[in-house]
Amino acid sequence: MAIITISRQSGSLGDEIAAYISSKLGCEIISRQYALDHFFGELSEGTVERLNESAKFFVGNIPGQDITFRDKLVNEIRMKASSSENLVILGLGGCVILRGYPKAVHVRVTAEEHSRIAATASKYGIGTEDAREVVAIGDRKHKKFVTTVFGAELTSPELFDITVNTDRMSVEEAGAGIVELARKHDLRMGITDSTKKSMASDHQKRIVAFKNPTEEEFARVLDMYNIEWMYEPKTFPVEWDAEGNVTSALSPDFYLPKFNLYLELTTMEQKYVTRKNKKVRLVRELYPGTNVRIVYKKDFTVLAERLEQFGYAGEEAS
Amino acid sequence: MTRLLDGALEIEQVVFDEETIKARVKALAAQIEEDYRGESVIMIGVIRGALYFLTDLTRELDMPVEIDLIGFGSIPNTTNKTGVVNITKDIATDIEGRHVIVVEDVIRTGLTTAYIMSYLEERKPASIALCSMLVNPDRMLMTIPVKYTGFEINDNWLAGYGMDVHEIGRNIPYIVKLSRKE
Repeated sequence: MAIITISRQSGSLGDEIAAYISSKLGCEIISRQYALDHFFGELSEGTVERLNESAKFFVGNIPGQDITFRDKLVNEIRMKASSSENLVILGLGGCVILRGYPKAVHVRVTAEEHSRIAATASKYGIGTEDAREVVAIGDRKHKKFVTTVFGAELTSPELFDITVNTDRMSVEEAGAGIVELARKHDLRMGITDSTKKSMASDHQKRIVAFKNPTEEEFARVLDMYNIEWMYEPKTFPVEWDAEGNVTSALSPDFYLPKFNLYLELTTMEQKYVTRKNKKVRLVRELYPGTNVRIVYKKDFTVLAERLEQFGYAGEEAS
Repeated sequence: MTRLLDGALEIEQVVFDEETIKARVKALAAQIEEDYRGESVIMIGVIRGALYFLTDLTRELDMPVEIDLIGFGSIPNTTNKTGVVNITKDIATDIEGRHVIVVEDVIRTGLTTAYIMSYLEERKPASIALCSMLVNPDRMLMTIPVKYTGFEINDNWLAGYGMDVHEIGRNIPYIVKLSRKE
């Protein structure tokens, strides 16, 4: 699931990136035109025209209703975001509307002015001076819309999770990068969601800090095999005292999303291994459907053997 | 202790002899025929270990099969001493929409198998199943379903029937337990 808002400077290829992402994810783009057609399409032609022309009009009440056009826009976009598997919101202050929406990824697309003018001239088949004016008007309109309707400043970096400068990026490079970012973010938010539905707690950190060299080496092995991993994303309480305080818990070292598998590494003495085995058994009992496995010292030996086989470039192994 | 291959390998015992392997391969072939009745299948052997198993298995199949091979290795990474696994011998067959059976000699941790399965899944086959002569369930880290298993093994050091020790021993027609890690 990817909810992506794209705010862009005029001519920065933001529209093209939105189209690329929409095509990759097979989802709709909520653009200004989409909003006018689908959220306000039942209103008179004149009203829709005024909405298209003037940001100020959005803060006024919808005729015969107690809500403003802005309220309706916000409600519609939030409903769409909640009910869609994937969605791209292009402009419309999407980054402000979905500011508190954990799963959304907010992207700002920029480029040097001369690039934007060149791209605009090429797109519309117009001269440089005309393109310069189109770019300037577009930027003014975008800025005014967000300022007037939401009281926010479009150039504030804190509104965005990532800013993409397309001066040296193709639409495909930027689009693919954003899709991957949204996928990773969704994975992390998925763990957060799933912990809310169980006794487990969210243990995700924004920075990976391995506790020992073994974990680091194991992460390298997973990277080598191109296996995606998350480090210690969840804590599973397994024992509680009479007052309900957690007295024993397991935070598996790795989670492999593709295999829906938690791995707990151990290269320790047998008495500690026995304790870990017990925790793993309790996790399986208390959290049905949770797939946890201990990686023992012997597993490491097998992996090390495998790595030895991969000793030099181009050598086939099996 | 016995030495094989002109003394190159010292073995402790024969784990699976030729007759046992032959009978098991025949049984696996019968199971595959049953499962894929009326379908054509592409059998993809993981080189070099699966060569003998792939050969014997496909010769037992009384059904149309195509055969291909896949190989993998690693390229060094300047910032990472373990490098990156990559495909060194790609398949030549278009597997999109086709039924695929990946044939392995042995699955231990499952990491390499998972890598190959992921790689092939990207080619959008109609189905993809895994067949391995040997599986060590105690060492399997990945949750990859092995549809056809020849024999389950433990942590012994094995050679023969495609498996090697530093490229020696693949041509032993049965599976042996080595006296020690060579």
